[in-house]
Amino acid sequence: MPEASAVASRVPPSKALRGRINAVGAAVFVLGLGVWELAVRTGLLDFAYLPPPSDVVVGLGELIETGQLQGALAHTLFVALSGWALAGLLGVAAGSVLGLVRPVWRYSMASLEALRALPIVAFVPVAVLLYGFSARMEIVVACYAALWPILLNTISGMRTEQRLIEVGAVLRLSRPAVLWKIRLPAATAQIVVGLRLGLSISLVLTLVAEMVGNPAGLGFLLVDKAEALQPAQMFAGVFVVGVAGIVLNALLMVAARLAFRGQLNAAGEGG
Amino acid sequence: MAGENGTGGTPLRGLLPLAALLVLWQLTGDPDSPYFPPPSEWFAAVRPLVEGNELLPAVAATSLTFLIGLGVATLIGAIVGTLVGSSRPADRALSPSLEFLRALPAASLVPVATLILGYTTQMKLVVVVLPATWPILLACRSARRSLSPVLLDVPRTLGLSRRHRATKILTPALLPAVLLGVRVAAPLALIITLLVEIVTRVDGLGSVLGAAQANFLSAQVYGLLTITGLLGYLVNWVVTRADNAVSRRMRGEP
Amino acid sequence: MTRSSEPTGHGTGSAAGTDSPGATNGTDGTDSISCEGVGVTLSGSSGALDVLGGVDISVARGEFVSILGTSGSGKTTLLRVLGGLLPATTGTVRCHGSVVTGPADGVVTVFQDYVHSLLPWRTVRRNVGLGIEAGCDRAERDERVDEALIMVGLRQRADEYPWRLSGGMQQRVQIARALATRPRVLLMDEPFGALDAMTKASLQDQLQQVQELTATTVVFVTHDVEEAVYLSDRVLVLDGSPAAIGLALDIPLERPRHQVTTKESADYLRLRHRVYEALGHDIGERARLGEHDHA
Repeated sequence: MPEASAVASRVPPSKALRGRINAVGAAVFVLGLGVWELAVRTGLLDFAYLPPPSDVVVGLGELIETGQLQGALAHTLFVALSGWALAGLLGVAAGSVLGLVRPVWRYSMASLEALRALPIVAFVPVAVLLYGFSARMEIVVACYAALWPILLNTISGMRTEQRLIEVGAVLRLSRPAVLWKIRLPAATAQIVVGLRLGLSISLVLTLVAEMVGNPAGLGFLLVDKAEALQPAQMFAGVFVVGVAGIVLNALLMVAARLAFRGQLNAAGEGG
Repeated sequence: MAGENGTGGTPLRGLLPLAALLVLWQLTGDPDSPYFPPPSEWFAAVRPLVEGNELLPAVAATSLTFLIGLGVATLIGAIVGTLVGSSRPADRALSPSLEFLRALPAASLVPVATLILGYTTQMKLVVVVLPATWPILLACRSARRSLSPVLLDVPRTLGLSRRHRATKILTPALLPAVLLGVRVAAPLALIITLLVEIVTRVDGLGSVLGAAQANFLSAQVYGLLTITGLLGYLVNWVVTRADNAVSRRMRGEP
Repeated sequence: MTRSSEPTGHGTGSAAGTDSPGATNGTDGTDSISCEGVGVTLSGSSGALDVLGGVDISVARGEFVSILGTSGSGKTTLLRVLGGLLPATTGTVRCHGSVVTGPADGVVTVFQDYVHSLLPWRTVRRNVGLGIEAGCDRAERDERVDEALIMVGLRQRADEYPWRLSGGMQQRVQIARALATRPRVLLMDEPFGALDAMTKASLQDQLQQVQELTATTVVFVTHDVEEAVYLSDRVLVLDGSPAAIGLALDIPLERPRHQVTTKESADYLRLRHRVYEALGHDIGERARLGEHDHA
């Protein structure tokens, strides 16, 4: 990643973009789809419910036509993003306190680590128990899932290099100024990493919550189509989920890069 | 996450808030609460599972899926990662496909796998293997890329055979990276094993947990949650220890 | 492993090394390692690059030949071609009469980067044994490892890990590993380039002794003129682009050589002067450039 970003900063944007478009890779991807299509059509791959890619495209069309996809996607994105945003606020706030105030860290970190060992998905039944089959339950699950990476990355990001703190002391900055001008910017790259991880985890757990709990959104759509024996539509749903994950991550990176260009480049996260 | 941040360096007094919370819960909790039964109730609620010989087979099924899944993921991740890391063209050709597969959330694989393979252990394994492969594959790829070319020239000039080059040089040189990947992949594999079990109810701890929730046995749910936590803690402890021991030995650090 | 012709090799080799210091192209009739019309074209990020073109070298048994060149002149590339680690684009490399297509039997390269060429997970003893594990039984391996370690003076450190040793000792471990294979040709790629001056001098003398003892043929790549003249029977200078042999100079200094007395002798100074000239140094101009740098 660092080399890529170093090159990208020197090369004019249009050329950098062209360099990044990976024709061979795209060809291999398309070739893979072609092989899949052929293998299913010729009966080489013989599973009762494995549709060829062309059927999946048709299934995608059907989902869009009936409006099921749009509704489900909107619901899932809304839930995942609100849970994630909530976790972002909570995680960065609590993580800053834990990272900056030593006594608080000393008297609570071990508790957090003990709780972290609990597999996140095991909380889904608990959430269903507490909040029933509701969107609120989904948001709680998404938030809880996203909270951990954001919290832990903020805590470790706030552990600023001692040398930088000394710089603040040498320049006679006040405590708030050190926090605002040195510690927070130094922690940015790692907080962004936490936010990225949190976003993808909140999407996964939202899907799980929809599969076992609240009958709405993409997670329910997948289970529903599987049970209705409509594999083409289900695969289309899986494809949409994958694309949604990639797009969300890309949007987050673009936003972060626009907002914190310097910090991310310094940490080699710019690429 | 070095030094004080690691589990070894975290002061144990940090457990006080958790302990206080549990004690408070125990003292003020209503034993008949449908939402927050006190901890003592948890164990009472799990006991019938132990006596009915349900818990142990469930833990065994979960552990087996987890271990086999992690093993297969390690094998695939190490081999593919090494191949992709040793050849730039292969890397470029495969990376978009791999990136797309990586972007698929594990949860969305569950319906696919159940539809194609049915409600079987095989299905559980497929869902566990794919996501658990990534951390190992990526760690292996970057380690193979940054391997010193001199290290690869050494066995050639000494006339080692191809097999010995792989077993005596490449494998030990990449082992720390594999273990680093496993350290990340192991908790993930456990989570996904439970996920499949909760969603599909195919045997295992997750399906027992799901059943408890469906029957509104809240105390049992909390009890089982604690057991999954212990399992998670055990997994973390083992892989962290193994990783530390092997890296110290292989990277040649005191 | 066909390294059975050792004893005879020793005899003739040491004769060539000591008795006829002016040893040029194969006084005893057989070349140890040679190349003919070797050219190498490497494809880099900025297109193809001709590194070597038409290089002819022949090294006699037991001879110590240095290849000198400025950095980037292709001397490491040439050594890799001789060692069979890099295929030549044109021309052929021969070792004891047969054409080299991969790393040849009895030819071992010692790399400059000792840190990455020693296996950090093996002790010194097991590092030295790496090349002979497959072909020898345990007793013979132990014996050969001990012999090699004694030659480089590291017998006492055999059970330590390489990262516990100093840079000079690590390089000696690498040399011992090469010696344990009982090579007929030792190719050394700036082996002392990363070491400080004191360590370098002592390792040079150790290498001299080892070569006298084993009569191994040595091809030694370096950018250090003093080192090349001090150690060699013959110095080859690479220059031009693509590079070829610009100067081949016999070094008829008496052996064994000594760090102080040899380097004070008029012959040594005259030879050194000629090599510097061949490398394109105009002594007067260099002084002026030096002043310029300081200003």
